[in-house]
Amino acid sequence: MLLLLAIWWAVAAAHIWPEVFVPAPGAVWEQLWLTSSVHEGRRGYSGYLLHEHLLVSLGRIGLGSLYGVIGGIAAGLLIGLVPTVRTLLGPLVTFVRTLPPLAYFSLLIIWFGIDEPPKIWLLFIAAMPPVAVATAEAVRGVHEDYLNAARSLGARRWQLPYRIVLPSALPEVITGIRVAVGVAYTTVVAAETVNGVPGIGGMIRDAQRYNQTDVVILGLLVIGASGLLIDTFLQFIERLLVPWRGRA
Amino acid sequence: MPSPDEVLAVRTAAVRLTGVSLTYGARGGLLRPRGTRVAALRDIDLEIGAGAFLVIVGPSGCGKSTLLRLIAGFAPPTTGEIAVSGAPVTGPGPDRGVVFQQPRLFPWLSVRRNVEFGLRMAGLPAARRRERAMELLGLVGLADVAGQRPYELSGGMQQRAAIARALAPDPAILLMDEPFAALDALTRERLQEELRRIWQATGKTVLFVTHSVDEAVYLGTRVIVLSRRPGRIVLDQPSELPFAPDPHTHPGYPALRETIATAVRRSASDDPGQDDSGQDASGSDDSG
Repeated sequence: MLLLLAIWWAVAAAHIWPEVFVPAPGAVWEQLWLTSSVHEGRRGYSGYLLHEHLLVSLGRIGLGSLYGVIGGIAAGLLIGLVPTVRTLLGPLVTFVRTLPPLAYFSLLIIWFGIDEPPKIWLLFIAAMPPVAVATAEAVRGVHEDYLNAARSLGARRWQLPYRIVLPSALPEVITGIRVAVGVAYTTVVAAETVNGVPGIGGMIRDAQRYNQTDVVILGLLVIGASGLLIDTFLQFIERLLVPWRGRA
Repeated sequence: MPSPDEVLAVRTAAVRLTGVSLTYGARGGLLRPRGTRVAALRDIDLEIGAGAFLVIVGPSGCGKSTLLRLIAGFAPPTTGEIAVSGAPVTGPGPDRGVVFQQPRLFPWLSVRRNVEFGLRMAGLPAARRRERAMELLGLVGLADVAGQRPYELSGGMQQRAAIARALAPDPAILLMDEPFAALDALTRERLQEELRRIWQATGKTVLFVTHSVDEAVYLGTRVIVLSRRPGRIVLDQPSELPFAPDPHTHPGYPALRETIATAVRRSASDDPGQDDSGQDASGSDDSG
């Protein structure tokens, strides 16, 4: 980390490339303060403070991921449990998964306008497949003796998905959720290319338009750092929810 | 505790098998062409009296686990009928508790909640569930680890918990599929003793599958030896040893052991032309 920073600083100081390509670490640092405060009557960047941009984006990521996780678990359970659904929905999920988000974003804008709905839809569609695939695989991988044991203890067939299948699939589902949140993170910048301010992606987009490379880099660093934080949080949740991972 | 005469005389058939056969389509493999039909069990007629401790012994791949799984209701037989307490078996049910070779405890539940599972399914209120679970955990000597998760326990303790869980819904019949095979010798011996005690204390009908002759002699009031695939009953031997204070030192032990061992040896060497892949239809060899 420090080494990277040193190389960055050295490259910028050597002025091999103009500032527009490689701004100095100091410039990015300064932008951190400028975008986080009100100065000379200007509020942050594009009228919003840095943390406001970030929180709006995190809100979108959170909402999109939440819907994606709910939809993904439901779809994954159906795909994993019902063979007919598997043959119908399985290829569809793979189809959606291979589409680049920007490609269907245009369609979503035509359908839902340029405000929040298309952004949330985009994140939802991007976040759902990883959860669906992970859940479906985990559901199919549930050892039949868990199901046999539960049935011998008096569980009815309809009780198995909730009582046995879902909990025993939980470790993989949570891995799917981590992947999904990561996908939502990479997609949020795409979602905010249209009418994305406030929003960290919108901020990057605007800064790019005005060649404010230091703000672009600041935005990237903020996304990366917050993503790291959130994944750490998810890992913590994972240890809390599935302490048996790798041990049973 | 039932007397030997009571148990040995078949009064009520707890389990009755009539002409049970199982044939299944083998998976296409390198050595076995697709669509081959494998006969796992052929024409099994068996009547098991209530309160009996029936041990099924046989070489690996003879279908003894498969037989147990049919009685558990995990799969239907190809032909024939299985009745438990007079009612035909149509699927698994809480009247037949099952203990697998692997404990198969639910890792997302504590040990106590594992034992409570069957009681929850039966709709018992929480307080009574807890009370009964603790009672059963006491019976298998696990009361002090009730709050722990299964994976925090040793293999032997996990298997005890699995026995407690299977006993919880108070099944008439306990089906045990090589429950001690994966344990070390010392633990196995202790659990055999405990199982004998539990059987005597609860009066359950136990169907116990093993490949260990000694285990069969020690535990069985009736020992059945199955032939190699397709499994047929080649020996049906009643025994009073489990009622003795210590079956190991019982004067009848060596002779009975020899009878059963001979039958197992003969059935294992029987028809050497067949392959010895040792796979039951149930796939129970999978240790997961």
